[in-house]
Amino acid sequence: MTAAEAVRQFVADGALVGMGGQSIGRSAMCIYHEMIRQKKKDLTLVGCNLSIPMDMMVGLGLVRRTECGTGNLERFGTTHCWRKAVEQGKLVNEDYSHLAMVSRFLGGEMGLPFMAIRSLLGSDILAKKCASTGKKYEIIDNPWNPGEKVVLLPSLNPDVSIIHAQKADETGNLIIEGFLAHEPEMTRASKAVIVSCEEVVSSDEIRQYPERTTIPYVYVSAVVHQPWGAHPTSVYRCYAHDGEHIREYQKAAREGGVAFEAYTEKYIFSCGDFDQYLEKVGGFRKYNRLRQEMVEML
Amino acid sequence: MSSDYTLNELMIIEAARHIRDGETVFVGTGMPMVATMYAQKTHARNICFVVETGPISPEALPVPTSVSDPKAMYRAAKLGTLREVLGCLLQRGMVDVGFLGGAQIDQFGNINSTVIGDYQKPKVRFPGSGGANDIASLAKRILVITPHEKRRFPERCAYLTSPGYLDGPEARKKAGLKSLYPDLTVVTDLAVMSVDKTEGKLKVKKLMPGVSLEKVQESTEFKVQGASSIAPVSIPSGDELRILRDEVDPGREYLGKGD
Repeated sequence: MTAAEAVRQFVADGALVGMGGQSIGRSAMCIYHEMIRQKKKDLTLVGCNLSIPMDMMVGLGLVRRTECGTGNLERFGTTHCWRKAVEQGKLVNEDYSHLAMVSRFLGGEMGLPFMAIRSLLGSDILAKKCASTGKKYEIIDNPWNPGEKVVLLPSLNPDVSIIHAQKADETGNLIIEGFLAHEPEMTRASKAVIVSCEEVVSSDEIRQYPERTTIPYVYVSAVVHQPWGAHPTSVYRCYAHDGEHIREYQKAAREGGVAFEAYTEKYIFSCGDFDQYLEKVGGFRKYNRLRQEMVEML
Repeated sequence: MSSDYTLNELMIIEAARHIRDGETVFVGTGMPMVATMYAQKTHARNICFVVETGPISPEALPVPTSVSDPKAMYRAAKLGTLREVLGCLLQRGMVDVGFLGGAQIDQFGNINSTVIGDYQKPKVRFPGSGGANDIASLAKRILVITPHEKRRFPERCAYLTSPGYLDGPEARKKAGLKSLYPDLTVVTDLAVMSVDKTEGKLKVKKLMPGVSLEKVQESTEFKVQGASSIAPVSIPSGDELRILRDEVDPGREYLGKGD
């Protein structure tokens, strides 16, 4: 399936979208670019660390709410559009910790209404909430050890989750290599899952070594084959992140206005597909360099 | 002995000294990664370095720019999931030291990395908790590294993201936290402060070379208290500096290019 078809079929306006990857690692950029080209709007974006694609969609006014543990790019700075939108009161953000978010997905994937957690107690993450969201938490006494406090958080089942994998077969069996962050729980909790992948492998190969399958096809709705599809973020064993391009995006996002419009016009709206974008960011030469950088790190 | 060092370098080396060999250390992004890498290359070769994206026991390469940077995953025992490290290792109680950076730290050792001003329309929006609340709630010991600037050390945090001693010595117990009375140490480029467990407040335990208690007060909004005895931070040896500069951060990503 193409990214355009997958987004048309599985992402609706107003959707609750689960975002995979973390920070500068393994974001399904090719799918998010397509969501932006199709102007999917009124989105609620959820995940643990939300980074570049969230920031782009917020900057373009496509997002109504975010629920996450962090919005930032660590050494590359904050997520500027997100920060500005929250400070200007244009975007609602509900704060959780990363363990809290993954626990909400864990509840969701197991068909439970809520999940228990032992952090957050005594903090403003519980004490403060946004007006537009429902009940944020409940503190109960452990029925088997009275006096011990436990926090309950509402489970989370995204309408669609978007992740990037190293390998997939055509039916949607996925192999993710390297760190996994919150993706196994989030993927299995989601009503639909779009996966972009570096390589499409045969189902025979998957079924020969089924213990290597990270996520089986039963959870997956669409597979989009897009080599280098996570640029400018990194994909473990495939290529490093593109620091130069991340800094270019960060500069545009920090300046906002015309600079941000110029970035999105050049790199997203004027591109018919992700291959055209990849040519603009440096094409084959850049790809080889980032690939080499990754090989040297392994 | 060497006099050719910056306080920023000594801050990293001093923070690393608080990690003991053999411990499991949950490491936040930025300076904590650098200091933990340094500890791993010097006195604490057998620590289990844990990063929130899922790496367990890596030998990080110089020098990760993110917890998702493959450099933070080199030769790990396992690249797992966020739930495995924050849930299984940390929440289950297997982490000895939680190592954090901070935006704002108050006199009770609470950290704010979320907002200044009204929550719904803040004056300043910071990145948020990430795993920091979980680490501060659940680790047996808490270590914080941060540059010492006045605005970073208010009397009370504008928003309490990660719990120190909340508002007093018994407050963590009252709130129901699992880790009741953790050792909590803040290492800055001016001083080392630890929570006095009878008061639940930070007290200066060590001063950086050439730094006075008055100087620390000038850079701190809350009233600075000294512990009953204040020791100087040991200056780094030539070997310690060489390891930090050549093996941990040769590109001067965190040590500063102008220094």
